[in-house]
Amino acid sequence: MQDAITNALAIKVACDKVNVHYGDTHAIKDVSIDIQDKTVTAFIGPSGCGKSTFLRCINRMNDTIDICKVTGRIELEGDDIYDAGIDPVQLRARVGMVFQKPNPFPKSIYDNVAYGPRIHGIAAGKAELDEIVESALRKAALWNEVKDRLQSPGTGLSGGQQQRLCIARAIATAPEVLLMDEPCSALDPIATAQVEDLIHELRENYSVVIVTHSMQQAARVSQKTAFFHLGFMPEYDDTEKIFSNPSDKRTQDYITGRFG
Amino acid sequence: MTTTTTNAGADWKSPEAAARVRKRHAGDLRLKFAGMAALGFAVLMLAILLVSLFANGYQALRQTHASVTFELSAEHIDAADPQRGNYRAIVQDAVQGLFPGIDNPGELRSAVGILSNGAQNALRSIALNDPSLIGQEVTIDVPLSDPYDQLAKGLVDRDSPEDQRRLKDADIALFDTLQARDVVSLPINWALVTNADSRFPELAGLQGAIWGSFYALLVCFVLSFPTGIAAGIYLEEFAPKNRLTDIVEININNLAAVPSVVFGLLALAVFIGWFGMPRSAPLVGGMTLALMTLPTIIIATRAALKAVPPSIREAALGVGASKHQVVLTHVLPLAMPGILTGTIIGLAQALGETAPLLLIGMNAFITEAPSSLVDSSTALPTQIFIWADSPERGFVARTSAAILVLLAFLIAMNAVAVFLRSRFERRY
Ligand SMILES: Nc1ncnc2c1ncn2[C@@H]1O[C@H](COP(=O)(O)OP(=O)(O)O)[C@@H](O)[C@H]1O
Ligand SMILES: [Mg+2]
Repeated sequence: MQDAITNALAIKVACDKVNVHYGDTHAIKDVSIDIQDKTVTAFIGPSGCGKSTFLRCINRMNDTIDICKVTGRIELEGDDIYDAGIDPVQLRARVGMVFQKPNPFPKSIYDNVAYGPRIHGIAAGKAELDEIVESALRKAALWNEVKDRLQSPGTGLSGGQQQRLCIARAIATAPEVLLMDEPCSALDPIATAQVEDLIHELRENYSVVIVTHSMQQAARVSQKTAFFHLGFMPEYDDTEKIFSNPSDKRTQDYITGRFG
Repeated sequence: MTTTTTNAGADWKSPEAAARVRKRHAGDLRLKFAGMAALGFAVLMLAILLVSLFANGYQALRQTHASVTFELSAEHIDAADPQRGNYRAIVQDAVQGLFPGIDNPGELRSAVGILSNGAQNALRSIALNDPSLIGQEVTIDVPLSDPYDQLAKGLVDRDSPEDQRRLKDADIALFDTLQARDVVSLPINWALVTNADSRFPELAGLQGAIWGSFYALLVCFVLSFPTGIAAGIYLEEFAPKNRLTDIVEININNLAAVPSVVFGLLALAVFIGWFGMPRSAPLVGGMTLALMTLPTIIIATRAALKAVPPSIREAALGVGASKHQVVLTHVLPLAMPGILTGTIIGLAQALGETAPLLLIGMNAFITEAPSSLVDSSTALPTQIFIWADSPERGFVARTSAAILVLLAFLIAMNAVAVFLRSRFERRY
């Protein structure tokens, strides 16, 4: 039993032949990938190759872009998320997202974290909401820094703290999958290290997908890595394997710095 | 890596380089001075406007009064029906008492003219208020009629030939007698805001116009603010991008530029002509002004919504907020300062708008403030228009004073806008 869990982790998100078009631009071409539970999966690749676009397919954020058309099949625990019966609003509570630039609401720290649970009716009362907020902030390693000023505005925090607040906000709805689009690109090295530690811990409970342009970061935080190139995904494998012995020529060129 | 190019061609110390630098600095200075000159010109024009309004209008801020004792004799007023008393006779008696030397009816009639016609009305309302005063004496301050008011303020040249003045030497002599008796005063002219319009300048006030403008703006705000915001939100956040919405958008932008008189004609034809709504009513005035204000608010709303950073929308969508939650709880509050600014600008424009109100008859002569939205009334700009057109000397100063009152209202509205903006302003 123990072995079964460590050796073969359950598949959380199964993507099959996903294609994305922005008007005439074919941004994602026939990408199929199985994302595991309790694993950090890194998306790497040169900029403009479609990493963000693919990530945003998983919580249907692309729905908000008029010209964006997604085809193919994406399943979350076996349910087709593009099925008519699935409400994208509910889906986004189950698949949380952290953006490149920290974007806290111009509200108090408490309200930032409490917003998701409130609109989804997750907390039964004030006491439970307080508990959820505290535990999200603790998981995001921010609690000790902000516990005395929960009512001060979230926008008053430093960049690294803001990004951890955004992570706390995303995990407050207890999502099953956490999507992170270059979460450290606006952060200094110390804040980056804090967020990376956090990702390590989050892995115990969540399936984390992180887009990064730093290969060192991918190597540090992820167990699986997918390489994107010009809308295709030429390679997806264990991170160790990708960085030591990639099987695709394009991956090798990218990793050794020949383009990108 | 290619070899770095050296700046072999550039000699930073050459006379040409120095000349280039001088030229550039001169350009900076020219731009700065052009801007300062433009600003100075604008401020100067504003100052000239305000100074000339004050110079013309300050005379109307005070009004000459005389303290006169009247006997509300029971002979002239029936205590059972004070409304129909002969107040003219009471005033005549009092004037006779003031000038005992007058002994023929013609002279007495012109002497009565020294007091405003308002004296009779004032006496009537005293008798109506407290019938027990009938048969007793009352002393009240009554306004002097306009020509004497001008005289008291030193606006009549006593040395000019008699046939070129409204007041003859005899009239001036009467006034001097009155003044020698120390009953003439020049208090602040509260009647300017507490009275409604009148044919007599000394009685004319803006109360009717102020209420008319207030009601019209209220209607305008109630109609255009929610409608404008809702339309702006729909167009910006929900409407599909297609031909139809493009056409709607172009038309709204055009609507904002349509001359206001056209809206007046439209209102005259539709609201009054078809729907049979009352003429001269603030309700119709407000509806007409709402037509004009609506495009301004829609455009301001859309601009303000567009200016909200997309990261806030993404953040809200990312935690699973639905469209209306994103708009109502996150985007709209951030857009509110911009929307309010646009609204106040639109309302301020509406407050000063004259042409459409003239067309729907809000330039009628009405001597009572409206007590409801459908009572006939004037508005501040139309009242100014009426007074500017009136021949009596006293209305010249009152026109400028009315403009000052209008400007005061505009300043108050802008102050409210600044206050609201700072309350809603949040950093993000
Ligand atoms: N909103 C959009 N509208 C049109 N094209 C887009 C949009 N977002 C991304 N694209 C296009 O899709 C392709 C992939 O972009 P993206 O997913 O942002 O790449 P990455 O995140 O890997 O840098 C690019 O060619 C980009 O121009
Ligand atoms: Mg990207």
